[in-house]
Amino acid sequence: MKLKFGIYWGAACGGCDVAILDTHEKILEIADMADIFLWPLAMDFKYKKIRALEDNYLDASFFSGAIRNSENEEIARLLRRKSKVMVALGACAHIGGIPGLANMYTREDVLNRVYRESESTINEEGIIPREAWSEGEYELELPRFYNTVKTLDQIINVEYYIPGCPPVPLQIYSALTLVRDGMLPPKGSVIGAGDRALCEQCPRVKEEKKLTGIKRVHEVIPDPEKCLLEQGLICLGPVTRSGCGSRCIKSGVPCRGCYGPVDDVKDQGFAMLSALASSLDAKEQKDIDAIIDTIEDPLRTLHRFSLAASMLRRKKV
Amino acid sequence: MKRIEIDPITRLEGHGKITIFLNEQGEVDNAYLQIPELRGFEKFVEGLPVEEIPRVVPRICGV
Amino acid sequence: MTFEPTIVGFLCNWCSYTGADLAGTSRVKYAANVRSIRVMCSGRVEPTFVIKALYEGADGVLIAGCHPGDCHYQEGNYKALRRYRLLRRVLPEYGIEPERVRLEWVAASEGERFAKVVDDFTDQIRRLGPLDIKESIAQSLIDDVVNHEEEATKDIGDVNEA
Repeated sequence: MKLKFGIYWGAACGGCDVAILDTHEKILEIADMADIFLWPLAMDFKYKKIRALEDNYLDASFFSGAIRNSENEEIARLLRRKSKVMVALGACAHIGGIPGLANMYTREDVLNRVYRESESTINEEGIIPREAWSEGEYELELPRFYNTVKTLDQIINVEYYIPGCPPVPLQIYSALTLVRDGMLPPKGSVIGAGDRALCEQCPRVKEEKKLTGIKRVHEVIPDPEKCLLEQGLICLGPVTRSGCGSRCIKSGVPCRGCYGPVDDVKDQGFAMLSALASSLDAKEQKDIDAIIDTIEDPLRTLHRFSLAASMLRRKKV
Repeated sequence: MKRIEIDPITRLEGHGKITIFLNEQGEVDNAYLQIPELRGFEKFVEGLPVEEIPRVVPRICGV
Repeated sequence: MTFEPTIVGFLCNWCSYTGADLAGTSRVKYAANVRSIRVMCSGRVEPTFVIKALYEGADGVLIAGCHPGDCHYQEGNYKALRRYRLLRRVLPEYGIEPERVRLEWVAASEGERFAKVVDDFTDQIRRLGPLDIKESIAQSLIDDVVNHEEEATKDIGDVNEA
């Protein structure tokens, strides 16, 4: 009997949905596996169809994208009601992702920049979108734009996580086969990824970590065989879950942590801060400070994908 | 005034909803397209080192 | 009522915890605001410990270890110093004053010095005021609401699907 799935997105880019399509001919197996009841990227079902379902009707719903506004939350809660299992798909739903970087700012900061201050915007009256608008008989609504970006599990119970930005397509496929075959691990697990840190799977040669300075891309031509961190490029491999096949590192750029932390690590960014500090080759405060001065933009490097899931969740205002 | 809501619009990247208002004769009186999504890339890329921009802004659209 | 800071202190077993003990047995009078946690080495203190302490209500965090060169495990205190300097650099980006975290070297014989450090640090935190991270997060979420009971089941009524 065919399973019943829902696939939806919050504050997303569509990359996770495209990753499902990137399973190429395996999409036919996925279509054989399940009937899909909602998938705005690819299929024309409306919210009304989901509202009409019985509770727990869907076997699983896959939610990508972060929770940025009240519509994202509303549909997340709707799908939670109508689904037996909720799966957070991709880095945004798992740990906040790139949209989570907006947690350095407030709602007002973002709205002002986008609608009033940005250089290519002409908005003489300074109009900002409102939740409710009416003119005569016409009435319109918009969702509430939240002050703080949230991960999916910060608003509803989530049974499984498929990490990555985007998740590797074949990993999504193998996660779906676990659902089909009833072979899911304990609830709360990350599926479609490894257990260990990325360093274990990274093909580069690792020797000793003794950093004398952090380099920017124009300051070093990295040796393609050696560990990037050892060459002065901050790589989040030590604190990131494996499963991506080291795709960034193989392309010559350091890991930015999109697969999220390994089990039992609550805060990926501060774990990296610890790893980075431990690797500095200095003992005197002035030498330590000189190396630290070479680090550009620490918050957005350490917490590139995980700010919304971090212990502090956002910049304190 | 009768209204037809198309929510969500589908088979593209992004969120959108269309509201159509009909008069008594059933003719279209007015129609509105709304984009109920905003992430604020314009704000949170401020101050990023330039070499990191190509790693952040592709997440605007993954299609 | 004046604000009494809550300070969490991570004190290394061999030097600073012993020093703090000495302050006690010598009956030195000093501020009672530090909640001491004994770790084997200041190098055990991870940035995550400091952040968790601040998140759970500490207004300040004190890390105390052996003087450079005297670490029982040779170089643990240097690691603590590196983590501390990086944490201080990064805290302002999260909206937290770096002065709320302090690292001090306190030897086993330095009971008086420990008392002075605590008095000084408590005073500094008192001037900075309460941190209240949890409250601040709750405040930033206060308008992030959706009436989900109503929304999840709402019937759009006189609306047709196109």
